[in-house]
Amino acid sequence: MIYTTKKEPTYQQKAVALDDMILTKDSPTSAGSKMLENFTSLFDGTVVEKLAENYEIVGKVTVSEFSRGMLADSAVAALDEKQIKGVIGVETNGAYTRSAALSGKVFVKPTYGTVSRFGLIPVACSGDTVGVMADNAETCEELLSVIAGHDDKDGTSLPQEMIEKAKEVTPVKKVAIVKGFDGAAVESAVEKARAQGVEIFEVDGEILLQAKAAWAILSSAEFCNNVSKYDGVKYGYRAKGCRTIEDIYVKSRSEAFGTDVKTAILYGSHVLSSDNYEKMYDKALRVRRLVREYLDDLLTKVDAVMLPACSTANLSVNAISVYEESLYTAPASITGLPVVVASGVQWLGKPLAEGSLLAFSKQL
Amino acid sequence: MQDLLDTLEKVNQLALTQDEKASVQAYFERVAQDLPSFAEVDTQNVTPMVYVMPLSNVLREDESSQPFTRDDLQKGAPEAEDGYWEVPRLIE
Repeated sequence: MIYTTKKEPTYQQKAVALDDMILTKDSPTSAGSKMLENFTSLFDGTVVEKLAENYEIVGKVTVSEFSRGMLADSAVAALDEKQIKGVIGVETNGAYTRSAALSGKVFVKPTYGTVSRFGLIPVACSGDTVGVMADNAETCEELLSVIAGHDDKDGTSLPQEMIEKAKEVTPVKKVAIVKGFDGAAVESAVEKARAQGVEIFEVDGEILLQAKAAWAILSSAEFCNNVSKYDGVKYGYRAKGCRTIEDIYVKSRSEAFGTDVKTAILYGSHVLSSDNYEKMYDKALRVRRLVREYLDDLLTKVDAVMLPACSTANLSVNAISVYEESLYTAPASITGLPVVVASGVQWLGKPLAEGSLLAFSKQL
Repeated sequence: MQDLLDTLEKVNQLALTQDEKASVQAYFERVAQDLPSFAEVDTQNVTPMVYVMPLSNVLREDESSQPFTRDDLQKGAPEAEDGYWEVPRLIE
């Protein structure tokens, strides 16, 4: 639920919430972890500065630990209960995509590099993307236009002239669906698209099935490195009664991190070990290129690729279940391509196609 | 598997409970089921893709600055005194 509500919105049309992965200097940022439960940043993230110019940031929504969990259900609850315009949150492993699809919200994960990552708690840096969840595509469009833009403080930020292209709108007339990706809401989404005159093509995207394992490898490796700094010394949680420096490291990390985070840390260091680096980490980087090249080529023939956002199973919250569900979200996570979640499914486009995807989703 | 997990725990400065170890092991085993088909993907002539968007070298002006004071930085310290982060004595 809402983690900290600074105030009731004074003007609902300008009220937004952030998720707890985005650093704010006037309220704590915990990333859903005991490790950072009392942590307050000394600076605001770039998206916070951009929003503060014209919007009222009324609070933050909780996230699963380091946003690695199944859902972003606090964001949905905040939209439903707190009468805010939208939630700005970090998509790292599909939680926002699944939650938007299951709740009927709209979510845009823009092209990697269009929104600054400066001032985020990093999870998997090569895929972490700030997105917008709202009740409708118009609001996503509005808030995305506010937070997008080049930022010198983010080394992966795209040039402004490229980011401007994301506002261009090209009609979506042809959509591909992919064999092997059977999931929730596909049939009804296909019907809605066809009703708009969209042609649907089925393609054999076998390589996309490999994105799941590849992203598990890459995201765990990056995560393992990103959380190695949490040692109980400089900031964050420190275990009580430690007699040695090793005690501080081991007890603080062991007491503060949850099981799924520990799982990801161990798996990340496993794939980076000298025995596995080539066959797992390096291999995953190569598979990433194949997935991206496949989608780049496919997106010269169609205007969007429709993928389910999740399976039809009841979603559990453990690491294995999240891994299973990442089958659907890993293609976008690993390639940095833009996705709009609408009508319960994902609509994935070529780089900087988010404007087109959002315009299309308004018709559904 | 147990030896592997013990080593990984150690290098990551973690101590897992038996229940946690069981969860970690189950995860490793589940992902391992997908690795044979992953390994079969022909990547011999494929370049690793580290960045998903084209990037050029990013440089800034070489100007020094001090955005935060030592006091600022130690506001979040678990234990600090006289401008130092406190840890147990390292050398007797």
